[in-house]
Amino acid sequence: MTNMNPYVPFASEILDVIKHTGKEYTFRMAFKGEVKPGQFFEVSIPKFGEAPISVSGIGDGFVDLTIRKVGRVTNEVFEKYKGQNLLLRGPYGNGFDVDLYKDSEVVVVAGGTGVSPVRGVIQALSEMPDAQDKYVIAGFRSPDDMLFRDDLKAWDEKLKLTLTVDGAPEGYTGNIGLVTKYIEGLPLRDPANAKAVVVGPPPMMKFTIIELQKKGFKDSNITVSHERKMCCGLGKCGHCRVNDTYICLDGPVFNYEFAKNFVD
Amino acid sequence: MGYVLTKAGFAEVIASLLEEYRIFAPVRKVGAGRFTDVDAVIYDEIRSADEIELEAKSDYASKEFLTPLSETLFYFTENEVKESDFDGRPVLVFGRSCDLHSLKRLDQIYLENGLAKDPFYKRRRDLIKCVLIGCGHSYDNCFCVSMDSNKCEDGYVFSVDLIDGKIHSNILDESFDKAFSAVSGSEKKDVIPRFVTENDVKVEIPEEVPQGIIKSELWDEYTTRCINCGRCNFVCPTCTCYTMQDVFYSDNGRVGERRRVGASCMVDGYTDVAGGGQYRRKNGERMRFKVLHKISDFKKRFGYQMCVGCGRCDDICPEYISFSNIINKVNAASKEVKS
Amino acid sequence: MANLDINVGKLKKNAFRYSKVRGETASRIRIPGGVIDAKSMGRVVEIAEKYGTGVINITNRQGIEIPGISLRDVDKVNAEVQEIIDSLRINQPEKGKGYPSSGTRNVIACPGARLCPFGCYDTTAFAQKMENNIYPNDRHVKIAFTGCSNDCAKVRMADFGIIGMTEPQYDKDRCVACGACVNYCKRRSVGALELVNGKVVRDTAKCIGCGVCVAYCPTRAWTRSREHYFRLVLLGRTGKKNPRLAEDFIKWADEESILKMVKNTYAYIEEYIDPDAVEHKEHIGYIVDRTGFEEFKKWLFEGVELGPKAEVNQRIYWGGKNYDKYGG
Repeated sequence: MTNMNPYVPFASEILDVIKHTGKEYTFRMAFKGEVKPGQFFEVSIPKFGEAPISVSGIGDGFVDLTIRKVGRVTNEVFEKYKGQNLLLRGPYGNGFDVDLYKDSEVVVVAGGTGVSPVRGVIQALSEMPDAQDKYVIAGFRSPDDMLFRDDLKAWDEKLKLTLTVDGAPEGYTGNIGLVTKYIEGLPLRDPANAKAVVVGPPPMMKFTIIELQKKGFKDSNITVSHERKMCCGLGKCGHCRVNDTYICLDGPVFNYEFAKNFVD
Repeated sequence: MGYVLTKAGFAEVIASLLEEYRIFAPVRKVGAGRFTDVDAVIYDEIRSADEIELEAKSDYASKEFLTPLSETLFYFTENEVKESDFDGRPVLVFGRSCDLHSLKRLDQIYLENGLAKDPFYKRRRDLIKCVLIGCGHSYDNCFCVSMDSNKCEDGYVFSVDLIDGKIHSNILDESFDKAFSAVSGSEKKDVIPRFVTENDVKVEIPEEVPQGIIKSELWDEYTTRCINCGRCNFVCPTCTCYTMQDVFYSDNGRVGERRRVGASCMVDGYTDVAGGGQYRRKNGERMRFKVLHKISDFKKRFGYQMCVGCGRCDDICPEYISFSNIINKVNAASKEVKS
Repeated sequence: MANLDINVGKLKKNAFRYSKVRGETASRIRIPGGVIDAKSMGRVVEIAEKYGTGVINITNRQGIEIPGISLRDVDKVNAEVQEIIDSLRINQPEKGKGYPSSGTRNVIACPGARLCPFGCYDTTAFAQKMENNIYPNDRHVKIAFTGCSNDCAKVRMADFGIIGMTEPQYDKDRCVACGACVNYCKRRSVGALELVNGKVVRDTAKCIGCGVCVAYCPTRAWTRSREHYFRLVLLGRTGKKNPRLAEDFIKWADEESILKMVKNTYAYIEEYIDPDAVEHKEHIGYIVDRTGFEEFKKWLFEGVELGPKAEVNQRIYWGGKNYDKYGG
């Protein structure tokens, strides 16, 4: 019976820990099975709780979970090290369909930890033959908050990356400004048929979409991923519901044409 | 087929059923109300028929056996996870027509929403059979007729109506016949359970609630009137939300448990995400979210209304907020939004 | 107004006030527990219109005074208040003669659990029971009942202040950790609750039994105790020498013990009152100041068996102003 119980987590070995910042690590977890970028796992720490963490990378026999240390559960996760196990449930949710982004101009706008769920998407874009038509605007709060530094470097060589920070100490030479600032100037040939992926904190998503619409993007060409409180991942606990949609079941990835009707 | 029997005879029926079943029924808890010397009618496991409150509408709904307010799911020791033990004896749950109708809604979420069936719900659900408490009259705030949940043709094993000191029972499940026929003095008779056919309170729900209602001003007053205590959710027979709670025992932190507790979309913390994000800060927004779930969003997803019109939310609201009145306000506002 | 020959002592004892207006008095109506039926209230109105000046004075201790009554009408007024005395079930040795004493003041009570959401017991009923327990009596004793720790009845100004308490009962299986009780206990009461491991822990030493947790609990995890409990506070007073607030004597006291202790107090007063006291009237507090609290306690506890939860403050130190010692 026990293995039929979807609330029972399975043990997964920590294959590696990649430290991005003091409070953001990627845990490379042993996992065999089907999983898509944008899906999420419940990381389950007995006696501390569970936290929904999106898949930030997928490889042969592993998934990457990029975790921000912000609470009871994630504090505990940060105590773990390579070789130990974490308990997981999942993957849950629908995830991104990367094939959608072949053969067209694509803009990915991601803010902060919102980069995690689209990391797999960006990776795929960077490997596409028309990678030069793929634009990524990644924003972080400050230079110290940047995630996936190595990836960023690698992507920068393959596709068109704009890296920006909300603020930086004096002497910082990179871009300073919100991600929304860089949309207007994107040298797109055909914005009406270009595709966009937007993931990040709710205000960032809202204003990014406004900029994309101004630029000429169709709502139906915009994909978003939503973050909500997801206790169960199974459509039972109710916390993630918006309108008649359960983010954990039907999302977290949505076409904006649909998601624009969400009202919290 | 049915029986008419005395209260003493009914007590015998219950006593004989208690040999096989655990029985959960509304019980009058003397002095357990919010205020001094005020009773509360709450579901509990009973040991004899005289504990069963057959006359008053219960303050809290019958769902409490299926979805306890607090239930331990797992126990954790150092490296082991153990599912909580469970009493597998069959269970009878007493409920009124509204309560019986709420079962379908609970099943919808716990068994049908998403691919997984909730095993902790299912293990309880599989045990229960329902006993219908007939309604001789409509109670304060009931609007079951408007919600089409005032009657049930099936879904119960036998019914109980207390009329002039006698118990009238319609037997739907023949396996219960012997408990009644064995009672000396029980009179075999055709019995039809009593159902309400009219309520003082009536609601009208638009076939489709327009999206524009979300922006209506009607929600604003609840930002100040509602105190977001969540009573309306906790008494609701159709509310299913829960929150996971992990703990380690204070005298030995290596041992602990994971439980789930009832959650309310009105109470602070319901939407909190890691890092401090929060949705629906205002009580008016929470009210909108709750009301529209009950009379629109659930229906969009599952094809029928969630609310069963029991009126318990109105009965219990300490701020005299009437849910049925909000429905009617939504109905009126919907016409304006459309036009 | 010639030829008035009044025994002022008896007049006062008969619940008529000595008025500054020569030849006039005021009839004092006792209303134990502060609840009077509408018909009796009508009677008060009639008396005020017939014998008084059409004015009714609501007193500080929930009584009524009908001023402007001629001293010649005292007997007639006594006949007329009989219905009120009967209706309020005031102990009276002889009918038709008005109130038999006025020393023990009207027993006051806030609306309590009959009306107030925070009331922990039926203050009116207890006040009426107390009235029957001690009235009539000439000794100057003030007793006040209040439903909860809010003390709307200001019982700390009385000789005996009775504050309602409930012992919160916690059913952890009904608790969903919504935090309402913790929050409201902190904001409206003393902050005796804490969430530990998703359940609420009550600091029993800190808890004052106000029932705020019960009132705010949305799931009936918190309920009231079957038993009604009381905090008994002692010997508060106003006045010229040493006004002070009553101090806590017993926490989690029971009704029967309180009735007995108040009754016992009268025997103590008889024993120790200053025989030269002005108008034979002396506040108990000043007597206790003289005999010491230990002696008073001995008399109080005569035949009293406190319940198992009762916590007694064995020593009490009162504060307040000491105008008689240090001036003001």
